[in-house]
Amino acid sequence: MTLSQKDVRGIADYARIALTDEELVEMTDYMNDAVANVLDTIRSYDLEGVEPVFHPIGDLSNVMRDDVPAQGLPLEVALENAGQTEGRFFRVPSILGDGGAA
Amino acid sequence: MAFDIDSLSAAQIAAGVAAGDFSAREVAQAALANVESREGDVHAFLEVSSELALQAADAIDAKRAAGEQLPPMAGVPCAFKDNMHLVGTHCTCASRMLENYQSTFTATAVQRMLDAGCIPVGKTNMDEFAFGSSTESSAFGPTCNPRDLGCVPGGSSGGSAAAVAAGMTTVTLGSDTGGSIRQPAAFCGVVGMKPTYGMVSRYGVVAFGSSLDQVGPFGRTVEDVALSMNALAGRDLRDCTSQPWNTDFLAHLHDGVAGKRIGVIPSLTHAEGVSAEVSEAIEAAAANLASAGAELVEVELPNAAAAISAYYVLAPCEAFSNLARFDGVRYGHQCADPRDLADMSSRSRAEGFGPEVKRRIMLGAYLLSSGVYDTYYYPAQQVRALITQDYKNAFQKVDAVLMPSAPFTAFKFGELSNPTQMYMADMFTVPLNIAGNCGVSVPVGLGRETGRPVGAQLIGPAFADDQLLRIAATLQGFYPELPVSKDFAKGEQR
Repeated sequence: MTLSQKDVRGIADYARIALTDEELVEMTDYMNDAVANVLDTIRSYDLEGVEPVFHPIGDLSNVMRDDVPAQGLPLEVALENAGQTEGRFFRVPSILGDGGAA
Repeated sequence: MAFDIDSLSAAQIAAGVAAGDFSAREVAQAALANVESREGDVHAFLEVSSELALQAADAIDAKRAAGEQLPPMAGVPCAFKDNMHLVGTHCTCASRMLENYQSTFTATAVQRMLDAGCIPVGKTNMDEFAFGSSTESSAFGPTCNPRDLGCVPGGSSGGSAAAVAAGMTTVTLGSDTGGSIRQPAAFCGVVGMKPTYGMVSRYGVVAFGSSLDQVGPFGRTVEDVALSMNALAGRDLRDCTSQPWNTDFLAHLHDGVAGKRIGVIPSLTHAEGVSAEVSEAIEAAAANLASAGAELVEVELPNAAAAISAYYVLAPCEAFSNLARFDGVRYGHQCADPRDLADMSSRSRAEGFGPEVKRRIMLGAYLLSSGVYDTYYYPAQQVRALITQDYKNAFQKVDAVLMPSAPFTAFKFGELSNPTQMYMADMFTVPLNIAGNCGVSVPVGLGRETGRPVGAQLIGPAFADDQLLRIAATLQGFYPELPVSKDFAKGEQR
């Protein structure tokens, strides 16, 4: 299957990456190249009945421990790399799109 | 006393500091002087932490003056790939996205090296967010290969490999998701190890592919790598995939390979795309191991060819998920005048991420989308089962498998300009990350044609890392140690 520029624009929206029209052309070429020349090989294998492995350490059980209170990141440290803050909070623009810019 | 830091191993530095032959401060100053004179040609560092280095050195010297026992790597200069957190430094992942990010905590692997007495010289260059095999995608400019400044150092941990090859530090840490330690080690003529998944904590290392990532050391000798593994390995409550491990990696390092069975795979050593000089060097390495008493056994990894496809399905999917956190809110680049929250995320990410990061995220987003998931992601996890089983079968017959670390020696800047062509260069390294077992790249001389270092990759079963290093130490013994590269011919730069 070949991806169209419209498909790739949709994926970019979903991945939250704004692409310029020029980038969209390049990205579409790249994705079709990667799918055809690198990824599609996977479809040529007979995998009928093969149980997938999702993790390199397969035979482990859940790790449990006691719930011990500990000091987390202090508030001011957690905020110090943020673009915009207000008091004890990260400041963000309107979430629903209408009203108050950040 | 006067001493030449370029000719000292990590163990020799620690012994010299402990004996009082020289102080940790003198070692730190010598390492920083090497950075000062060589970094302009190599660009292995994104940040040099002179102050932290001297502070750590003074603490070691004070300990010695007080008569306290020194830790095993006391005074050894060390640097960390810039995707590892160290309080007091930036952690940029070589990305504009994190250009101004200051670490608020320290990664466990980094802390363990510091606890072992290492002196933090700085943070090393890398492909942006570790997506690449050449360090060319760093947003802050590429690193040059100290063995040939016109060539790439490999990647993604290119800065870590180059810093060691140029003697600006004695050991470094890198991370390996699909070969990012072993391939640059091969290109720069140093030793680089990807430990078994779960051997070293990933806490505080910016995640790329969480089921594939593993932290490991670089050094000029297998012994320096083993010494570093002693510091690194073991359980960390902050990474539930890390395993309790209490091995002395040095204990049997020099016990030789008599009776060890080494797997060789002629069809892979001579596979299409592998240069003749690399094939020859790997065959010579096998002959050397045989002459030391190892038995060579032909084995097969029948599904090796599927690994690249599986890897480039799995890794972008995991990266897409891991990099979702960079939304411009809590840290990282934030665009100006956002319209709303979605606009802020989309434009912050567009402005902050470089082209290869965007490509990987886009691929992951596509592969995980409805309908596509069943075509690629699920089969990739099935292929993972096949590859894991291939290795299990091979390790019933042999103790380790020998193959190239990379199909060719270091290439020129810009030589692999097509992204998917670059991906194929990972053919020997990615299967290991998919299966999770351990691997190490050992320099086995210079290529007959290019004159650049060739790396032999030894691959071992999960959690047999100490035995793997033992074989690697024997192999390295056959080759004269590549001296530190420091005299860079002017005009050679790209």
